[in-house]
Amino acid sequence: MKNGDILTATLESGETLEYVFSANPPRGGMKHTFFTPDRKYAVQFFNNPRDAQSMLMQERIRSIVSIYNPTLSEKQGGALGNTEKTADYFRTKFCWPVGVVKTPEFGIVCPTYPQGFFFGENASAVLPLKGKDKKSTWFTGRNRKYLNKSELGDFRMMLKIAIGLARSVRRLHQAGLAHSDLSCNNVLIDPKTGSSVVIDIDSLVVPNKYAPEVCGTRGYIAPEVLATMERDSNDPHRCLPCVQTDLHALPVLIYEYLFLRHPLMGPKIYSTESAEKDDHLAMGPMATFIENPDDRSNRPDDLDVTISSLSEGLEKLFLQAFVDGLHNPSERPSAMEWESELLRAWNRLVPCENEDCDKKWFILRDEKEPVCPFCGTRKTQPLLKLGFKSNIRGKHGIFRDKTEVYVYDGMPLFDWHLFSNIHNDEKAEPEMRAYIRRHNDMWLLINNGAEGMLSPSGRLVPKGTAIELRDGVLLCMADRENGMLAEATVI
Amino acid sequence: MADYIRRLPVYLLLDCSGSMAGEPIEAVRQGIKALVSELKGDPQALETACLSVITFNSSARQISPLTELLLFKEPQLVASGATALGAALTVLADCIRDEVRTSTPTQKGDWKPLVFLLSDGAPTDKLDDGLAALKKVTAGNIIACAAGANANVSTLKRITNNVLMMNNLTAGDMAQFFAWVSGSIKASSKSIDAKPGEAVQLPPPPQGFVIVP
Repeated sequence: MKNGDILTATLESGETLEYVFSANPPRGGMKHTFFTPDRKYAVQFFNNPRDAQSMLMQERIRSIVSIYNPTLSEKQGGALGNTEKTADYFRTKFCWPVGVVKTPEFGIVCPTYPQGFFFGENASAVLPLKGKDKKSTWFTGRNRKYLNKSELGDFRMMLKIAIGLARSVRRLHQAGLAHSDLSCNNVLIDPKTGSSVVIDIDSLVVPNKYAPEVCGTRGYIAPEVLATMERDSNDPHRCLPCVQTDLHALPVLIYEYLFLRHPLMGPKIYSTESAEKDDHLAMGPMATFIENPDDRSNRPDDLDVTISSLSEGLEKLFLQAFVDGLHNPSERPSAMEWESELLRAWNRLVPCENEDCDKKWFILRDEKEPVCPFCGTRKTQPLLKLGFKSNIRGKHGIFRDKTEVYVYDGMPLFDWHLFSNIHNDEKAEPEMRAYIRRHNDMWLLINNGAEGMLSPSGRLVPKGTAIELRDGVLLCMADRENGMLAEATVI
Repeated sequence: MADYIRRLPVYLLLDCSGSMAGEPIEAVRQGIKALVSELKGDPQALETACLSVITFNSSARQISPLTELLLFKEPQLVASGATALGAALTVLADCIRDEVRTSTPTQKGDWKPLVFLLSDGAPTDKLDDGLAALKKVTAGNIIACAAGANANVSTLKRITNNVLMMNNLTAGDMAQFFAWVSGSIKASSKSIDAKPGEAVQLPPPPQGFVIVP
């Protein structure tokens, strides 16, 4: 066989698929990859024939493609409770295997990543990046400086990536699965659009059923896994990748997205014996959060923006993950907690008024101190907050505070801003129901299709018309069951 | 913010004796070009790997000092003369001692170096002197490639346990060898899922290459 030869794979479904042979295919720890001639699919085979022949491995792959598959509706043989809609949603979040190869040998078919996760023509003036996949290290490590500015996104997009990833991991964990090798290599990100995709799904761990195959990737392996790596694989004290180790890797990635640095890589020298020994201690048994408030031994001298510049909720979660839970896996916050706290922080985003600020957005933590932590610019423009109130069940006319959102010019409002029983997640309709405009020094809310929106005086606000959001205005977002009230406050 | 990234030093020891003249040396030139370009496309390799080239013919010298990939300049390779492999090892030992940062209470040391040695002949100088010099430094992982029919495998075996055999000195095989080297560097730069101090897991050698047991 030589480079460029077209070979045919037969799938277990009976279909056939052509792929292009390469003598030196891209190779990961477990598998190597060929592509179909149109590059729409990747055909992957195991490096080690023992893995390919293992019945357990084959069974694992078959169940990942079917009953554990969140990208396929339950009707089509996918995960339990999965609808067409949630399947469509998660198809954009995971690069999930779609088929099992029977011949020439056991293997996997995966869709290739969407185009946005490959660098285009002008990604870098100094590096040959065209066509390379967007591993997050490009954006969070020191290579960042070689990328063109148009690739880098802003703080808001990085927060959006974090939300998307937390949601994907939450979905896996909800189904009882662990990814087991979440890392900068297995999560591709596109800061331009704030999207992420989780790849290399086939090492999924099903607790008590399919044990982990890999240890993980340097920098993302949980400390307890590194600390007990020397032990025999049957030793009950040996820690293996699982849901709890995903819950270490997840905040490491989130921290990297938000701060562009690694939470454990600081100046502390743990051992002078060798680099390998030092690194093992730094990532494993002795790991210390660079922002640990009680142990400053690993704290860089020049930390500028820290977790205290985020929302209080996020600061608490990072401390829980990297101080309380770093060596105590059961203390780590769940993916669901990360998702909802990141969403709360999303609601507190405000644009920086400094046009040259790279980050463009920041999380407003203290209304009395509206200062961008990245560039130090103080907000001078008035700020408007919408407080959403939900009806207490069974008590007509009695409302309680649900969420608060800072608004900005052009902000879209969705069903989760209208109804208290709808959340910003994969189940919500993606259509914009209303939006905010800053016009002639007025804040306007324009109805874009919300039914039963009522003005403060109780008049219907038809589609296409606007209401002014003055301080103290109270409007009804939807005069329907579970419809919320919104109160405007100028700060 | 300060950088706490360790470097992965990579040394290429290249045989530039007279027998490499013509197609083989041109293939090596192309191979280095492809290697650097490939590594620049890998974020972890780009962050950690540093590259140096040591050539040997009648004598040995370091023609490219250990340099980060973006600043690396392709060296001028000329094939002529004998095969001073022993001297090359001595130069390697000197370079490792001078260039590779060791861990101290105030400095994060570099990873153990990765050495790729390519030779198409038998040494014409004293190998033992070179071996003795190399023993005094931490050389890390040395992978030797015996290129072509005249390469002396048993000599290379005295330097390292990792010996590959490339049967032909064709441009195609040389390109594959360098592609494999880049795969190995990429794997090392992100691995360390290996236990500390243990040899890194390298990808399987390309088709047509034999691992010498």
